[in-house]
Amino acid sequence: MAVQSQEAKADRQSQQFLQPAARTSWRVGVLAFLHRVGWLKLLLFLLPALVLLTVYLVIPIIMLVVMSFYKSTMFGVIPDFSWRNYQHFASSTLFVGLLGKSVRMAITVTVISLLVSYPFAYFLARVPVRFKTALLILVMVPFWTSYLIRTMAWLPILGIKGVVNYSLLSLQIVSQPIEAFLFNEFSVILTLIHIYMPYMVVPIFLSLDRLDGRLLEAAGDLGANPLRAFWHVTLPLSMPGVIGGVVMVFIAAFGAYVTPKLIGGTSGIMFGNVLADQYSGTFNWPFGAVLALIMISVVLLLLVAASRITRLDAVFGVRA
Amino acid sequence: MTEFDLEFLHVTKSFGEVHAVDDVTFQVRRGEFLSLLGPSGCGKTTSLRMVAGFEQPTHGEIRLNGRPVGGVPPYQRKVNTVFQHYGLFPHMNVFDNVAFGLRMKRVPPPRIAEGVERMLALVELPHVANRFPHQLSGGQQQRIALARALINEPTVLLLDEPLGALDLKVRRRMQEELKRIHREVGVTFIYVTHDQEEALTMSDRIAVMNHGRIEQLDTPTAIYERPSTRFVASFIGMTNAWQGLADGHDANGSVVVRTAAGVFLRGLPIGTIAVGEDVEVNVRPEKILLSTESPANAENCLQGRVVDIVYQGAYTEYHVGLPGGPTVRVVAQNQTEVCAPSFFPVDTPVFIHWTSRVTLVMPNERASSSVPHDRRRITNGDAGEAT
Repeated sequence: MAVQSQEAKADRQSQQFLQPAARTSWRVGVLAFLHRVGWLKLLLFLLPALVLLTVYLVIPIIMLVVMSFYKSTMFGVIPDFSWRNYQHFASSTLFVGLLGKSVRMAITVTVISLLVSYPFAYFLARVPVRFKTALLILVMVPFWTSYLIRTMAWLPILGIKGVVNYSLLSLQIVSQPIEAFLFNEFSVILTLIHIYMPYMVVPIFLSLDRLDGRLLEAAGDLGANPLRAFWHVTLPLSMPGVIGGVVMVFIAAFGAYVTPKLIGGTSGIMFGNVLADQYSGTFNWPFGAVLALIMISVVLLLLVAASRITRLDAVFGVRA
Repeated sequence: MTEFDLEFLHVTKSFGEVHAVDDVTFQVRRGEFLSLLGPSGCGKTTSLRMVAGFEQPTHGEIRLNGRPVGGVPPYQRKVNTVFQHYGLFPHMNVFDNVAFGLRMKRVPPPRIAEGVERMLALVELPHVANRFPHQLSGGQQQRIALARALINEPTVLLLDEPLGALDLKVRRRMQEELKRIHREVGVTFIYVTHDQEEALTMSDRIAVMNHGRIEQLDTPTAIYERPSTRFVASFIGMTNAWQGLADGHDANGSVVVRTAAGVFLRGLPIGTIAVGEDVEVNVRPEKILLSTESPANAENCLQGRVVDIVYQGAYTEYHVGLPGGPTVRVVAQNQTEVCAPSFFPVDTPVFIHWTSRVTLVMPNERASSSVPHDRRRITNGDAGEAT
């Protein structure tokens, strides 16, 4: 009570003499009210994110679901409730096969970039701090370059008159330029690895960088040679980063659309391309909605699987 | 083959210009509980890390069980460490943590299970095998760390301030636990601590370290009762100190010192003390007696006034101001009401007296280790050139 009355007195004084201070005390009042009503403060903080998510995620997905049951005719899209679009997908070897192929390609991209990124991230986590920043920036630099340019850069490298073929020709290793480098699955996978590797390197680096070096000392103390200490301590403790990287690279590679279109040719085409065609080519939006929902489902399945593993990790106390 | 489990022979560890450990030599007997005690930065942890193999000595040799261990990596040494930060693997449960060492040695699983069970029983936590480290309290985590180290049956167990992160009550219990476990397993313990009470209560011997050197290595009683340097006297327990000049020797071997304030004090000399030498007189607060009347035949007796009283329950600490001299701390057990604080209220004129046997007279130059760093560095430089 005494404190309150003192505050009130101070309030009155500040109102009399200092206009800005009076405004401050009004703000303090609002904050105090928000503090008392805890959930209100929470809501206020979440509001911008909630609005964004609703407008750009929840509503579009609802629209997708609704539209997937519509009927596409020569005269446009007619509201309907039929499973025909889903049946069309399920009975088409082209689309199902392409889905399988895209999943396979995305897995290839993910596995190879994991194998390349882990040693690199490990090295990055162990170099002295001054090099660490420089090397991390080098990893991030491609991010600031346009995705298109990073994709197109492979044309002058792998093309018939590209760097690789030119070198092979001038070294007389081949007599004819090799065409198999470009416009196929191989070039798409290679490019996707190149483009999405930072997504793999950074989370693995973060988890390795955060790893308590004293645990490795303890492992050594208990008789583990460096290799076994890595296997039993470093690797399991970096799993959150690995899973984070795997999820991000897989999702990005699975949904690739520009890269296969530009340098995939006919054999490098992916699910994202036929999906986009439903909107920009054949204008069959309801069927496009089905394909999009299937794509989302695959990604969701992966996320559920990944969250299973990371939740287990949380139980293990790897929350850092 | 040798009675020593661990030997340091002129071990020096330098980090650039700094000698973290400076020409240290000592031996640890089999089954002994040896504490390395000292302030932070005195080199005690570095010494321990050299035994574990995490650091290599710059000069000198460390022997485990008679064999030099230079160049042997940590994972091949028969020593194990209990860390202050526990160092338990967060992604493994207690069983897997304790089993780690045996798994590294590829011991068959049934024997691992047996060993883990025995160790968990030893640290009195038989029911936590399936829990994860973060589900345990600090004290429990440290017991698991102890079990994890001991299961490997090390020649020497290294304990690096293992109780430093625990609160006082748990620390007391763990001290008793550690002593019991030491008795039961009979392994040599090297115990690093900056807590003098911990070292005094637990150790067979204590090595008091300062500035990378061992100031004194002896039993707790000797360290406390007969500290050989000023640093040891001031670091272990409380002490009252007077500066003065040696004035002469009396019949029973005591040195008579004339203090700066002009009074005469008698005490036992540490080493040889020449007449006229600069000395420091040290006496522990609990060795001093208080009285309101002048005591008969006191070897050392001073007159003063009680300036402050700190009541501690079991005992009371009196601060007695001397005319023109320092304030002397006197600790008295609250045994009878005559000793209770009410008997010597603030401002009471009192006599403080004590015997010469509990008084130590040390030459001032031996106190080099507690004098400022610049002087210290000169001696270090000399040592560096000599080796």
